[in-house]
Amino acid sequence: MTEINPNEKYKHLSKIGPMLLQCISCGDCREATDYTSDPQKWGVCVVRDHTSGFEPFFGRGKMQIIRSLWQGKLELSKDMAEVIYQCPTCNACSEACAYDIDNAVIYEALRAELIDAGCGLETYIPMNQAMVDLLNPYQRNNNEKKNWMEEIDFKIKNAYSEKADVLYFVGCTAALTPEIQPVAITTAKVLHKLGVDFSVFGEQEVCCGSVAKRTGDIKAFNSVAAKNYDLFKKSGVNTIITSCAGCYRTLKVDYADIFEDLEIRVLHTIEFIKFYLDEKNLILKNLGINVTYHDPCHTGRNSGLSPLYEEPREILSKISNLNEMKTIKENANCCGAGGGVKKGFPDLALEIAKSRVLEAEETGADYLVSICPFCYRNLLDAINALNSDIKMIDLMELIDQALP
Amino acid sequence: MSKIDNVYKEIEIAVGTDYITGKDFMKAAYSRNVDPAFPDRWADIIVRPETTEEVSEIVKIANKYKIPIVPRGGGADLVGGSVSEGGILIDLTRMNKIIEINEKDFYCEVECGVTWGALLSELYKKDLTTGVLGPGSGFSATIGGGLSNSTAGFGSSKYGLVPDICLGVEVVLPNSQGTIIWTGAAANKYAKPFCRYGVAPDFTGLFMGDAGTMGIKTKCSLRLFPNSPYKIQKNYILKKNDYNKVFELMYKLQKEVKDGIHDLYINPRVVVQLLASLAKIRPPKRAKLSGPVFMFILEAFDERVLEVYIEQVNKIMTNDNIARPFEWQEIDLEEPLSKDWKFDFKFPYSYFNKFIALAPPKISCTTCNKVPISSIEDKKKANELFDNENKGNFPTQSFSLFARSIHLLPNGHCVFAGGFNAENSDAQRELVMDVWHKKVRSQVRYGGIHYWLGESISQSIVEADAYTPEFLQFFKDIKRVVDPNYLLSPKKFHMYSYDNDIRQNIIKSE
Repeated sequence: MTEINPNEKYKHLSKIGPMLLQCISCGDCREATDYTSDPQKWGVCVVRDHTSGFEPFFGRGKMQIIRSLWQGKLELSKDMAEVIYQCPTCNACSEACAYDIDNAVIYEALRAELIDAGCGLETYIPMNQAMVDLLNPYQRNNNEKKNWMEEIDFKIKNAYSEKADVLYFVGCTAALTPEIQPVAITTAKVLHKLGVDFSVFGEQEVCCGSVAKRTGDIKAFNSVAAKNYDLFKKSGVNTIITSCAGCYRTLKVDYADIFEDLEIRVLHTIEFIKFYLDEKNLILKNLGINVTYHDPCHTGRNSGLSPLYEEPREILSKISNLNEMKTIKENANCCGAGGGVKKGFPDLALEIAKSRVLEAEETGADYLVSICPFCYRNLLDAINALNSDIKMIDLMELIDQALP
Repeated sequence: MSKIDNVYKEIEIAVGTDYITGKDFMKAAYSRNVDPAFPDRWADIIVRPETTEEVSEIVKIANKYKIPIVPRGGGADLVGGSVSEGGILIDLTRMNKIIEINEKDFYCEVECGVTWGALLSELYKKDLTTGVLGPGSGFSATIGGGLSNSTAGFGSSKYGLVPDICLGVEVVLPNSQGTIIWTGAAANKYAKPFCRYGVAPDFTGLFMGDAGTMGIKTKCSLRLFPNSPYKIQKNYILKKNDYNKVFELMYKLQKEVKDGIHDLYINPRVVVQLLASLAKIRPPKRAKLSGPVFMFILEAFDERVLEVYIEQVNKIMTNDNIARPFEWQEIDLEEPLSKDWKFDFKFPYSYFNKFIALAPPKISCTTCNKVPISSIEDKKKANELFDNENKGNFPTQSFSLFARSIHLLPNGHCVFAGGFNAENSDAQRELVMDVWHKKVRSQVRYGGIHYWLGESISQSIVEADAYTPEFLQFFKDIKRVVDPNYLLSPKKFHMYSYDNDIRQNIIKSE
């Protein structure tokens, strides 16, 4: 055994504190099925059925690896990274944990250690570098971020030069992915219909840094976060709304961790619009369609103390017939895209998403609804791969149709 | 190429490349269970077979190269049950299919790697249950582990131990042929696995509580019971800390209420005091914690019958002013009132996590030993005497409890689940292991009957000179029949080979 000072050697993990070595290895993060709970729990880890299923794929195994690193019995390696990154950091394991360990935070720190040790996955390097250089992880010209606005027949304020009540932070996926641009378009339309005074950054919008944070590239994350901090400060933004679950979690939770003086309210657009609809007592049209709802991890388990489980459901119950899936809310199965899995392990992401789509099909719904463009992307891929009849749709699109 | 390399290559052919590993980080991830009192132990190869036939192939290869093998279920044991220093660790959790739930004949057949949580969830959909809900770690613990450890768990007051519901097992014997057999009714190749006794001697029993030493359990059939729809929690606190009274009450309850009691757990006063100190939201007025708390779960098929059970229990508990009704809210406002309590799996399974490791990441040296209910007071005193006499031997800042809880079992005995904890550090581990063994030896010598034996407890029983030479020879002879090369789960019971004298490990003077 090598004598090491783990606090010096593993600076990201050492920031976790006592929680790091708290795991007693009970294994509930691997498997905890519970028909009697409300909502019911049907398994925990979504990678379980789509990988070889050895312990490092689960929380307990990762914690044991960390313990061995800490004791100097093990070294970081590329082989290890191959497994550690096959996790969407959905934090269902944390939900199952009897000791409330925030597993995803620990996984991200372990990934940061892997990168520092030169063992990170190469597939993420151009993505995270593009985030810093081009301001989006899709390696596209950031000017394209304004393209979706060509579909809009009203003027949207430029947050850089014009004051507005709220900033609509579009996010890279909705802005740059043609199939998902309706999320941005309908969000703007709904805000406009409701008379909300809002602005966007357009081509100046900087990626929130979510994928860098999830994949452990702290340098890239800090770089874009600092750019956003400056942008928000300069433009005098007080309230940010976003229709992307990943941006929502990052701006709300991760930025609050690193910027003590940011003092900006971050809301998901659904949260914001639900408040607006209630306040104005607006009656939405019932669309008469059968839908089911997928809870994004970043508006649920990973969103801090106020997960958005009820708001989308309350809206959906008014405008459609909502049929719940087998796993919902805090026990919902992840779509499989997050944590860098979609980029690094697209086949795994697709298999997990296919399982989720099959779960959705069991409800008999015609539409699979979500409030996250990245879930949308992955679930849509699964729908296509399965030749499923179910249609993927963002809740904003339905609200747009239901608004008078 | 080394011997291990050859073994790896041959097993790889049997199970496929994806389901075998020898990588260091994989080995590290399997180096412990819920047993940090043990040092990390790294297997040479870890393998995840999917079928009984694959297990059989692994066993044949292990025999060919004389490599030790250790089966592993949920990896949720506390006593070094399923880790391997070198050799092949067989992770059986891929064998997790529920083969049949026979509603008409009240039995099910499953692969032994299925978890209790998963099986019970499927059964509850059909208003069925296995009665005993498996060990406290049942969300992730496997059926096979429950059988190998003869475990008790929630439901055991009424339905007994896990082996009591076992109707037969499919086992891969650790011999060079990797022989596969069924015990119980299925030993008759024409029969379904619906009953345990009759077709032959009860060979099922050979594999129950064997700590994985006699064979690798791959499938089993279990008794099923209709799930009683009416369940309620009732708590009483004794007005005096008197364990003779605890016995008298247990006796009366067994005699007069029996079938209504799904579970009776008795939490000693010191534990209730400890829980009160850990409460996040404490009530403004401090409760008088005068004695142990009796925590009942009562069940019945009819609400009216449940009312009768409630009345009977209340009469017994409050007669002569022995006890008063108790609410956990008296010490912790976050706890539900008993009238609002609802049965779910989280309740029993979190119970395990909450109380086995009261203060993670400390080492928890906890064991269960069964004692007759009439001797509760004596055994409590014996445990406390040991703790007092060995005060200096425990690690600093460790606390020892004679029982975290006392769990009533059918007939006239109960389980003391208790132990001590310590810092989880390499520096303390040897000290901890020594005093743990010593404590278990003292329990063995007062006539305590341990289960989930694993490595530490099975060895301590040997050290205490509990087994006669004749019994040990019989044990060895039987094991030699099923495991001629002595490969399966070595070290347990201080058995290292067929040539070593197990009795050399007896510790006589203490």
